[in-house]
Amino acid sequence: MRFAQLSFIFLRVLKSLKELLWTHMLTSGTMAMTLFIFGGFLLIQDNLQSLLKGWGNQIQIFAYLDNSLASPDRQKLLAAIRSYPEVESVRFVSREEAWEKFKKSMGSQSGLLEGLQAEILPSSFEIVLKMPYRSHTSIGDVVKRLRGLGGIGDVEYPEEWLEKLSLIVLGVQWAKWILGGFLFVATLLIIGNTVKLAILARKDEIEIMQLVGASAGLIQAPFVVEGMIQGIVGASISLLLLWLLFLLLSTQLPSFLGIFAVRDQIHFLNAQGSVLLLVLGWLLGACGSLFSLKRFLKA
Amino acid sequence: MIQLFRVSKIYPPNYPAVKDINLQIEKGEFVFLSGPSGAGKTTLLKLLFRAEDASEGQIIVNGRNITRLNGKGVAELRRELGLVFQEYKLLPTLTALENVALAAEVVGVPRQESRKKAFHLLRELGLKDKHDARPPTLSGGEQQRVAIARALVNDPILVLADEPTGNLDADMADETMRLFLRIHEKGATVLIATHDTGLLKQFGGRAVFLQRGQVVRDSKPGRPEG
Repeated sequence: MRFAQLSFIFLRVLKSLKELLWTHMLTSGTMAMTLFIFGGFLLIQDNLQSLLKGWGNQIQIFAYLDNSLASPDRQKLLAAIRSYPEVESVRFVSREEAWEKFKKSMGSQSGLLEGLQAEILPSSFEIVLKMPYRSHTSIGDVVKRLRGLGGIGDVEYPEEWLEKLSLIVLGVQWAKWILGGFLFVATLLIIGNTVKLAILARKDEIEIMQLVGASAGLIQAPFVVEGMIQGIVGASISLLLLWLLFLLLSTQLPSFLGIFAVRDQIHFLNAQGSVLLLVLGWLLGACGSLFSLKRFLKA
Repeated sequence: MIQLFRVSKIYPPNYPAVKDINLQIEKGEFVFLSGPSGAGKTTLLKLLFRAEDASEGQIIVNGRNITRLNGKGVAELRRELGLVFQEYKLLPTLTALENVALAAEVVGVPRQESRKKAFHLLRELGLKDKHDARPPTLSGGEQQRVAIARALVNDPILVLADEPTGNLDADMADETMRLFLRIHEKGATVLIATHDTGLLKQFGGRAVFLQRGQVVRDSKPGRPEG
């Protein structure tokens, strides 16, 4: 495409933005609403994932040892577990230490334990995994291997809790794509219709351009560029609205609910998420315009 | 310049607007396409600039078979043509100058050069003081001259005009026809569709008569008279 044609496209876009400002604003607004909902899901999922990661720091595996295990065998077992690539640290908890902890946890009711001795509790290893292995599957895998080791009686970890949290994240992730997908298609149709209105308003112009030998690319380009601009403006508006909502919720919601100590852990979309929204807006605008134009020009 | 071999255009369900036409127009000819309303004049012109596809037959324009062209080919064909219509087809939001320059800009002529060419053409066609006027403020004759200027801005080898004087009074029609003669004198092939037999008598030249989609008479080629 020659410079003269690029400048022609640029001038036509400027003219259209000036003349059909409200139509363009309406389309951008529609896109902003869609991207706002999609971005909302993105934000929830992102925060849940980082909360899960934060809570994952506190996840430990407890491997209870057989009472019959001799000290040298215990040392060997400790070395074997430390050699696992997933393991960050292993701490030995003696029966006495476990007993003290247990008594402490009973609080005022510790009197009930009178007459019992530390021997009723097994000694154990407290195992912390490295960050990349704190997922439900990796933990399950390590637990399976631990259970296969001689000298280990039972293995415990917060399985149910982990499963539920992973499911919530997965649910939000799916909801984001499914709902986002529906909204995307709906917005595509709305944009297509808005573009159709813009095309009808400029039907004569398109016809005359065709008659004087303008290429299809040159006829379509201004509309597609307008769509892209609408998309980016819509995405920017949605980002701004999301940020305002985030500010409001992050300051008001934790104190209102009174249960979250998570204020410092929640965060707004990172650069990647923000760019994703802008790219989606850009694509939405370009595709909406292009589909509508192709149909019109074919007709 | 133009060759039609057994060309037909049949509209659904079974209406033949143009039927089995054979026609040859040489380079530099000035030809009237005449006949009553519904004779197929407009359809024939539309086939020549590919606003319609022929149902049968082959059409050669300037040595190129245009019967089966893709979108790009159609755009390229139209850049070699100058098209003039009865209803002018001007954009009311653009000035006369912008309307003419648009046709040059879309084929890649730089904006300044397009405007310069448009300005000279408008001056040549007697619209020196009207280049900033928008079409609704111009008379029918002036609008048609703007449309002619637009048709000429890319130096076409072939000018096709569909009832160019249909909306004009006698004086304006006469003036417009003289413009076409000037275009012809500069070397372009000109094909004008008209139902006005008075124009044929006044300006002479070759006349091809159509009736019910068929050529019924083709006068001998001759030079048009002003």
